[in-house]
Amino acid sequence: MEDEKEEINENPTTDASDDVDVDEFEDEETSRNLVVPGEILTEDTKNFLPGRGTIFNKDRTKIISLNIGLKQVRRNYINVIPLRGFYTPRPGDKIIALVTDKNPVKYICDINSKDKGILKPKNTVARGKPRRYRGGPPDRHDNNTDKYKIGDILIVKVLSADRLNKPELTTVGKYLGKRRDGLVITIDTPKIPRVIGRAGSMIKMLKNLTKSNIFVTQNGRIWLKGEDIAHERLLIDAIRKIEKEAHTVGLTDRMSIYIENEKKIRGMN
Amino acid sequence: MPLVIKDEYPEKLFRDDGKRLDGREKDELRPIKMEVGVLPNADGSAYLEWGNNKIYAAVYGPREVHPHHLSKPDRGILRVFYRMATFSVFERKRPAPGRREKEISMIISDCLKPVLFLELYPGTAFEIYINVLDADGGTRCACTTVAALALADAGIPMRSLVTAVAVGKIDGELVTDLSGIEDKAGEADLPCAITWFNEELSLLQFDGNTNLEEFSKSLSLAKDAMHKIYEIQLDALKKKYIEIQEEFNGGEKN
Repeated sequence: MEDEKEEINENPTTDASDDVDVDEFEDEETSRNLVVPGEILTEDTKNFLPGRGTIFNKDRTKIISLNIGLKQVRRNYINVIPLRGFYTPRPGDKIIALVTDKNPVKYICDINSKDKGILKPKNTVARGKPRRYRGGPPDRHDNNTDKYKIGDILIVKVLSADRLNKPELTTVGKYLGKRRDGLVITIDTPKIPRVIGRAGSMIKMLKNLTKSNIFVTQNGRIWLKGEDIAHERLLIDAIRKIEKEAHTVGLTDRMSIYIENEKKIRGMN
Repeated sequence: MPLVIKDEYPEKLFRDDGKRLDGREKDELRPIKMEVGVLPNADGSAYLEWGNNKIYAAVYGPREVHPHHLSKPDRGILRVFYRMATFSVFERKRPAPGRREKEISMIISDCLKPVLFLELYPGTAFEIYINVLDADGGTRCACTTVAALALADAGIPMRSLVTAVAVGKIDGELVTDLSGIEDKAGEADLPCAITWFNEELSLLQFDGNTNLEEFSKSLSLAKDAMHKIYEIQLDALKKKYIEIQEEFNGGEKN
């Protein structure tokens, strides 16, 4: 029981530099031009190479887009920042998982991707944890799946993920583990960098103005907990607005004005 | 007394002024309206009104395959479910999928496969559910067009969009975009689809009588029509985002 208490006291926060790369939507090199699948981005194949979300055509005379998104030219690479898409797990991602099933050897978690995540009991207990007293009992959760129940919400880290095998997860680490309170909402995965903003500017603004605790994860799920239900509602509305307007410019300034206005309208202080 | 409606077609498919029965020129398309993102619970969706055709398409995926034995270990699969509503045609359509539904599902799937990267998603399925609410000729072409749009809206990597149109021969004249009555009473019907990344035909079916010269002429007619439909597809896909950009005066940076 004692180790569970420790987890509750750990306040989850988002360390932007740790979790997330730069906000590509607000980047100087990103144009506001929408491109669609099959659109020709350039015919100058001598000076440019296809980057993310782009491909050469068959005879390497053109670079074409694969996604609906925004065109970005970075050095000699042409990228497309997608506006729609799905989550593909990568090792090291911190994500929110929902325990959907368990058997004596593993938990099966929904991680908002094409595969279910696998959480083995040995990955739920820190390795080499000292016994409480000399000759005391070993950790009970090392060898069975009693620690979490079906329906629990966990913050986990992806240990391994590839195209063929199911991703393996762990709950050992900073900020990881079971969440007992707060709300979880899901947004479009490609718009997660926008919710965080450049160097975490958007998320800092949201936290300060709504006095809430937010944990944004790479699989499109956001854990949040505010002072009261009114602040949580305002925060959810704000996140939905960011999701909808992710491809516009000057979003951070507009969002702070929006939240201040909404606070006055809703009579919050 | 039961209402008996005989299956009769008009003798002439052209009016006296040289136009078709619905007032179109020979190479004129029916009015087309497209919209994306209409179904909130689907990963991607699109709606199409093409003349009297009204079609919804919803895309889900990549996701696990059920039944599991259909999954392929080296590539993903594309499953298309083409269904017609019972009220979509004049006489009640029985809801069970028949030979025709299975055939059209298969040809739409085969026609969209070249633009997808199925080999990147082994053991999974992309599923497209197409529902025809109102049918008036050329639904297989309309369904291919709207399915490609829904795939693009879902954010699935694609080489390009796919566009389809039917051309045919009525009363000895080549015409574009056959309506229901022209399809049944006409002489020939040629549905075809194009993949824009290599401008190759992805679907080519033929029904009726014609000669080789007319065949190549009708293909060039089809290509002109496809270019027009492609423009509407692009507009529909971009409109959803451009509207929001314009609202906040963010159309151009700096």
